[in-house]
Amino acid sequence: MTQATLPRPIPSRGAKSARFDGDKALALICVGVPLLGLVLFFLYPMAIVFLRSITTADGAYGLSNYAEVLGSSGFWRATRHSMVMGGATTLLSVTLGFIIAHGLYRCAFRGKRLIRAVIILPLLAPSLVQALGLIFLLGRNGLVNQIFGIEMEIYGFWGLLIANTLYALPQAVMIIGAALVLLDARTYEAAEVMGASPLLQFRDLTLPAARFGILNAAFVVFIITITDFGNAAVIGGDYSVLATEIYAQVIGQRNFNMGAVVGIMLLLPTVAAYAIERRAMRLQGRQPANAQRFVPSFAPLRDLPMAGLSLLICLAVLSVIAIVFYASFVRLWPYNMSLTLKHYNITLAGGYSSLWVTTWISLAAAAGGTFLVFLLAVGLRRAPAILVQPLQVLAAMPAAVPGMVLGLAYILTFNSTATPLYLLYGTAALIGIVNFYHYHTQAFLTVMTGFRQLPEALEEAASSLGAGLGRVAVNIIAPFVAPMLISVFFFLFMRSMVTLSAVVFLTTPDLSVAAVTIMRLDDAGLTSQAAAFSCAVMAVVVAALFGMKAVLAYLGHRTGSGSVG
Amino acid sequence: MYLSVENATKTFGKFTALDDVSISIEKGEFVCLLGPSGCGKTTLLRIIAGLTETDAGTVSVEGETLSNLPARKRGFGIVFQSYSLFPNMTVAENIGYGLKIRGAPNDRIAARVRELLDLIKMPTLADKFPAQLSGGQQQRIALARAIAVDPRVLLLDEPLSALDAKVRADLRGEIRHLQRSLGIPTLMVTHDQEEALALADKIICMNHGTVVQAGPPEDLYHRPATRFVADFMGTSNLIETDVIRRVQPKLLQTRPNGADAEYIACIRPEHIDLTPDAEGPATVRDISFLGNLKRLDLDSPLGPLQVETHGVDMFSPGDRLSLAIAPDHCVWVRDDLTGAGA
Repeated sequence: MTQATLPRPIPSRGAKSARFDGDKALALICVGVPLLGLVLFFLYPMAIVFLRSITTADGAYGLSNYAEVLGSSGFWRATRHSMVMGGATTLLSVTLGFIIAHGLYRCAFRGKRLIRAVIILPLLAPSLVQALGLIFLLGRNGLVNQIFGIEMEIYGFWGLLIANTLYALPQAVMIIGAALVLLDARTYEAAEVMGASPLLQFRDLTLPAARFGILNAAFVVFIITITDFGNAAVIGGDYSVLATEIYAQVIGQRNFNMGAVVGIMLLLPTVAAYAIERRAMRLQGRQPANAQRFVPSFAPLRDLPMAGLSLLICLAVLSVIAIVFYASFVRLWPYNMSLTLKHYNITLAGGYSSLWVTTWISLAAAAGGTFLVFLLAVGLRRAPAILVQPLQVLAAMPAAVPGMVLGLAYILTFNSTATPLYLLYGTAALIGIVNFYHYHTQAFLTVMTGFRQLPEALEEAASSLGAGLGRVAVNIIAPFVAPMLISVFFFLFMRSMVTLSAVVFLTTPDLSVAAVTIMRLDDAGLTSQAAAFSCAVMAVVVAALFGMKAVLAYLGHRTGSGSVG
Repeated sequence: MYLSVENATKTFGKFTALDDVSISIEKGEFVCLLGPSGCGKTTLLRIIAGLTETDAGTVSVEGETLSNLPARKRGFGIVFQSYSLFPNMTVAENIGYGLKIRGAPNDRIAARVRELLDLIKMPTLADKFPAQLSGGQQQRIALARAIAVDPRVLLLDEPLSALDAKVRADLRGEIRHLQRSLGIPTLMVTHDQEEALALADKIICMNHGTVVQAGPPEDLYHRPATRFVADFMGTSNLIETDVIRRVQPKLLQTRPNGADAEYIACIRPEHIDLTPDAEGPATVRDISFLGNLKRLDLDSPLGPLQVETHGVDMFSPGDRLSLAIAPDHCVWVRDDLTGAGA
C-alpha cells in the first residue's frame, strides 16, 4: 500500500482566496444569457404586437382597431370557422389517435413498427403537404375523380378538416400513447382475477386512466389546428380562418395594426387552451416506480378490428404523403401520367437555394437553441429558489403563441428602425431565432425531463471531488442528458425545416425558406414542382431523423446501458 | 479534534432538521451517525460535505473553518447510497476524475487508478461502464473514487443500504479494512445499528435533530443513556420503575435518584437467565428460531419479556419457568419518550 507516498493533490483549497466564486458567476451567465434571449426575442416582440394592436391610424393609443375588427363580419366568420374547424379536427383526430394508440399499446398484432413509422410522417413535412396530397387525391384532377369519376369539392371545410386531422394525428397518438403506456399491468391482473371482463377493464381502468391524456391531446390538437397556416392557405379555399385572416390583413392589405388585433384575438383561445392543457398534464398521474409494463396477449375479437382500423388510418396518412411523392414524378398530372424528373428542376427564382438556406438556418437554430436551453436548465439548478418558478413559466410561454402571431410580432419589432435590432431584419439569423423561440417550450421541457432524471448525487459526488459548475456541466450533466440534447437538436432542426407560420412574414424576395417556396410554387400553379420541392424537404428531414436514431443508438451502445432514451 | 461541527442548526420551512448539534471526529477515527430516518443525520453529513448550508454553526477541520467553502473546495470524499457513478465514464475514468480535476498528469492518474482497483480487488474492470456492473461492484468503485484523491475526510451516506445482505456484509468488512489501513477520518451515516456497532470507533446516536448519546459502541449498547438509545440499539426489555419495585426490588439498587417517570429499567434479552420451574411465575408464549439462538416471548410479572438463549430445546410454548436478572445487568435509562427525562 503506497498511499502515504503520494503527495496531497489538492492545491485549490483555501478559504481566503474564495471571495470570488467562479461558480456563482457562471450560474449567473447560465441563467442570464437565455433569459436575455427570451426577453429580447419573445417578451419584447409580444409587447410590441400588443402595443401595435392598440395603436390607431393617427398614432394614438386606443381600442378603435378592436372596435373595427370586432365590428367586421369577416372577422366573426373567420373566428367561427376557426372554432368549428378546431372542434371538428379535435374530435376526429383524437378519436383516430386513440384508436392508433390503443392498438399500439393495448392490443396484440403485428406491424406496430410500421404503424409507428407511418404515423409520424406528417411531422416530417410542412403542414401544407397534407393539403397538397389531398388535392392530388381528391381534387378535381385528383386520382379518385380520374378513376371513379366521383367529383367532390375538396377546397373548403372538408378538405381542410381532413388535412388538419392528418397533420395533428401524430401528436394525438404520442400524447394518448404516453398515457396508455403508463398503466400498470398489475392492476389489470388484479381486475382479471376479480372477474372483470375485458370490456369492463377498458371502461373502468383504461378510460379513466387515459382521460387526462385524451384531454391533453384534445387541447394540443385544437391549438395546432387553429394556429396552422399552411393547410388553410392551400386547401382552405373560401373557408377563411383566423390564421389566413392575419395573413390577408398583413400581406394582402399591408394593415399591420389590424393584423396585430386579429393576432391578439387568435392568441386568446390559444393561451386558454394551453393553460388548460398544462393543468391536464399535471393531473395525469405518474407511473409508480415498480409498475409492470402491460404486454397484451392476442384476443381476436379485440385485436382484429383494431388492427383493421389502424391499417385504414395509416393508409390514409400514407396515401396523402405518397401521392405527393408520386405526383412529383408525373409529367403532366392528370393528363400525361408518364414519369419524369423534370419537376425537380425548380423554375421559380432561386430554385433550390431556399432549401439549402433553410437547412443552414435549421442547423444553426438547432445548435444555438439546444445550447441555450441547456444553459438555462443548468442555470436553473443553481438559481435562487424564488427565480426558478417564474423562469420556468417564462420558458414554457412561447408554446402558447401561434406561429403567425410570433412572426407578426417579429416583423413589427425588427422591421422598425427605432432600435438597433433592425439590423437583424431580413437576415437568415432572424429566421433561425424565430424558429427557436417558436419551439422554445418543447425544447426546454424535453431537456428538463432529462434533468429531472439526473440524480442529484451525481452532481454532488462531482462537487465533492472538486469539480466546479463548468466541469459538472460538461463532464457530468451534458453526457447524462445527451440523449435529450440530441432529441432537442433534431426536433429543432426538423421543425425549422418545415415550419411555415412563423416565418411566412419574415421572408423577403432575397431570402426565402423551403416551406414558403412550396407555397409560392403552389400559388403560381406549379403544383408538381411544389410536390417535388416538398419531397426534397422531406428527404432532408428523413435523413436527419435517421441521423438522430443512429447517434442515439451509438450513445446507448457506448455506455452499455439501457438507460438511454 | 480533527473535524468538528459546532452548534449546527438547520431548518427546512417549519421542520427542524438539526437543532444546535455539535460533534467531533478524531484523526483516523471511524464515526457512525446513527438514527431513524428524519433524525437529521444525513443533513449533518451534507453540511459537513458542504452540500447543504447551515442556518447557524460552524464546520472546521484542523481548526480551519470551512463554513463558506463550497463542497468542491473542501477536499472530502463522499459515497452515496445510490452508487452515483458517472454513467458516461468508464470505471477508470470515474476513479481518476478527482485527480484529473486537480490537474494530475495522465500517467500518475493511471497508476493511482490501477493501485485503487487492486486495493478493492477489481483489477480487470477498468474499462467497463457502470451500467455493466453489479450494485456491490459499483459501490466499491464509488469508494475507490472517493479515496483516490486522499480526502481529508471520508463521508459515507448509507453506502450499504441498497445492497443485498451478503454483499453488504462483504463490503462492510472491506470498508472497515480500507479505513483502518488508510487511516482516513470517516463519518458514516446509517440507520442500521448492527452496521454501526460493527464498524464504528464511535457512534453518535441522533433523534429529532439532536445528538442523544455519543460514545464507543460498547457504551451505547451496554450503557444506553436514554430509552430511545436502548430501544434503537438492539432489542431491550424496558420496564417501568413501579413494576420493578413490586416484582424485582433488588434491581432498584443501581437506580439513580429521581422521580418514577424519570428513569426506566433496560434489560437486554441475553441478560435474563431462565430455569424450568413448574411453579415459576413466567410462561413461554412463543419461540422464534433465529439460527444460532432462540428468542422466547414470555408473559411474566414484569410484563411481556423477550429473552434470547443459546440453549438446546429446553422450552416449548406453555412451559412455566422462573427467571433471574443480575442487578448489574439492569441499566437505568432516562425516559426521553414520555418527555419527563432530559
